[in-house]
Amino acid sequence: MPWYLYLAIKQLFPTGRRFPFFTAISVVSVSLGVALLIVVLGVMGGFGYQIRAMITDTEGEIQIKSRGLISDYPGVVKKVAAVPGVAGATPYAAGMLMVQYQNKPAFPQMRGLDLASIDRVVSLGKFVRIGSLEALDDDSVILSGGLADALGVRLGAMVDIYTPLMLAKKDGEVILPRTARVVGILEIGHQQLDSSTLYCTLRMAQDLYGLGRDVHGINLRVAPGAREEEVAARVNAILPDEVRAFSWRDSFADFLWVLQLEKNMMMFVLLFVVLVAAFLTMSLLLVLVLKKTREIGLLGALGASRRQIALCFCLQGVGVGVVGTGLGLALGFTVLHFRNDLVRAITHLTGGQELLARFYQFSELPEHLENRDLALIVVSALVLSTLAGIIPAVMAARLKPVEALRSE
Amino acid sequence: MSNSILNASGIVKTFLSGDRRIEVLRGVNLDVAAGESISIRGESGSGKSTLLHLLAGLDAPDAGTLTWEGSPDTGAKRRAAFLGIVFQSFYLIPELDALQNVLMARRIVGHIGSAERDRAKELLKRVGLAERMDHLPTQLSGGERQRVAVARALMNAPRLILADEPTGNLDEHTGSAVIELLLGLCRETGTTLVLVTHNADHAAKCGRQLVLREGRFA
Ligand SMILES: Nc1ncnc2c1ncn2[C@@H]1O[C@H](COP(=O)(O)OP(=O)(O)OP(=O)(O)O)[C@@H](O)[C@H]1O
Ligand SMILES: [Mg+2]
Repeated sequence: MPWYLYLAIKQLFPTGRRFPFFTAISVVSVSLGVALLIVVLGVMGGFGYQIRAMITDTEGEIQIKSRGLISDYPGVVKKVAAVPGVAGATPYAAGMLMVQYQNKPAFPQMRGLDLASIDRVVSLGKFVRIGSLEALDDDSVILSGGLADALGVRLGAMVDIYTPLMLAKKDGEVILPRTARVVGILEIGHQQLDSSTLYCTLRMAQDLYGLGRDVHGINLRVAPGAREEEVAARVNAILPDEVRAFSWRDSFADFLWVLQLEKNMMMFVLLFVVLVAAFLTMSLLLVLVLKKTREIGLLGALGASRRQIALCFCLQGVGVGVVGTGLGLALGFTVLHFRNDLVRAITHLTGGQELLARFYQFSELPEHLENRDLALIVVSALVLSTLAGIIPAVMAARLKPVEALRSE
Repeated sequence: MSNSILNASGIVKTFLSGDRRIEVLRGVNLDVAAGESISIRGESGSGKSTLLHLLAGLDAPDAGTLTWEGSPDTGAKRRAAFLGIVFQSFYLIPELDALQNVLMARRIVGHIGSAERDRAKELLKRVGLAERMDHLPTQLSGGERQRVAVARALMNAPRLILADEPTGNLDEHTGSAVIELLLGLCRETGTTLVLVTHNADHAAKCGRQLVLREGRFA
């Protein structure tokens, strides 16, 4: 081990002595900055990741939509399913409904599912909290948790369903709703989807909306490893112009862009915390250089070169960076791991758990730290700490041994 | 001339302090033969430390030439192997224990192996600190610290030792002990010694005694 590395380590972490003040303060400040970045970017990234998971779990990665209706959907499904990279396709019908239960009305989104092919695209079954997806037939529905709560519906209850089609009927005619049995309650974990959605069979949806044999769209599942955008492009190539395939990224492009922008801004702002920590390290190192002036003179007298003396102090900045980043990663990931307990503890003290869920659309704080962000955090913390060591190092190297030795 | 360890001739050093010129050394000539011990005395401010720094190659003279064993190379690399320095205020590194302080002299110029470790331990034994090797400088007395510094100066088996008032911070008794030790070790190992001191008794123990006055050896 070269002497300057040895001495740098010994000065940062002397054996058999208390952790020096300098090391403790600068390491703690760097690690706090790193931990903060990890936690904030982890949670921010979690939102994006969660939204992706939620969309692809319920709709597949690609949606085919038409300007009007898609007629002959079995033909389209067959053609599309043969495209390389497509693992499955299922048609759907969607729209607004009014549901009434014991005079309480609600206006949920309807999703008509093709039970024969739905499993190839999404495994909705795993979200069914009460009842089951298998029980769904043309005379029954599954409600989202929030909708069931709002209506006060239990499993097996009969609800009345009104469709916009009924408004078009002639005056004076009594509007007869369609009655359906509730055979399941489904919860995905996304506030918006869970608050008000009604799932029924495709045939029932077609009836309610008077679609005949047509559907509103087709959901696609992309084969593992295939790239959504490429698959969407390949699908588009074989579809007529009025029918288009969109990847979930296209459909949520604006939202994802805002999320990314928010994350980048957070990163930028929080990097200042690390920058301040680096300045702190630098000023403490400068004090150290002043304190050690005579030792620097001695090292020169013992034959150390200026470059080596500079390295000795620069490496102390690096050491602070490495240890601080390491501790910061540990602290950051620990906080991320216990984030929901922390949020629960905080909301317990301040109230507002529901508010949080409503505002952020998730009942649990998600977490997903992209490798790119992690690398950026680690690299910038290390680079800033190293830069913090450079100015004191240059100062130390510029001391002449004689002058350093004379500075009594 | 053939066994000259150090030769300085016509050394001139002037400091500018403000617009005053301080002519500290005005043509110092010195030739030190191998194995010699020389003492340099002089009033405070007469330029003894300045001269020693010049002889050690830590500073450059305004005029004059300096050679070590006939060679004008007085760079940092060569210095580490050629000479050892002992200062008035020890200059031990506070984070390192006695053994590591001694080893530091070697660490800067080369590899540390078990042979080097053994040598450092041996030297510490010779200066009477066998039991104090793992003590930090703050746990040692002034005299003990200076003995560590002596061991450090000897670590690289130098040809020459320059000592600048090594007893200046020590009491009479401890100071004498350190000087005896230094002289004894140099005699034993055949190392040349240049000792700057205020103390006439210490100076008298050296083979040759010089006095620096008005920038020259009187
Ligand atoms: N860098 C410098 N700038 C200005 N003057 C200096 C400098 N270095 C030394 N001097 C002056 O040179 C003179 C000799 O100093 P030096 O330290 O060599 O004396 P000394 O003989 O070692 O004294 P002492 O016995 O007190 O240690 C002093 O007057 C000092 O003020
Ligand atoms: Mg002096």
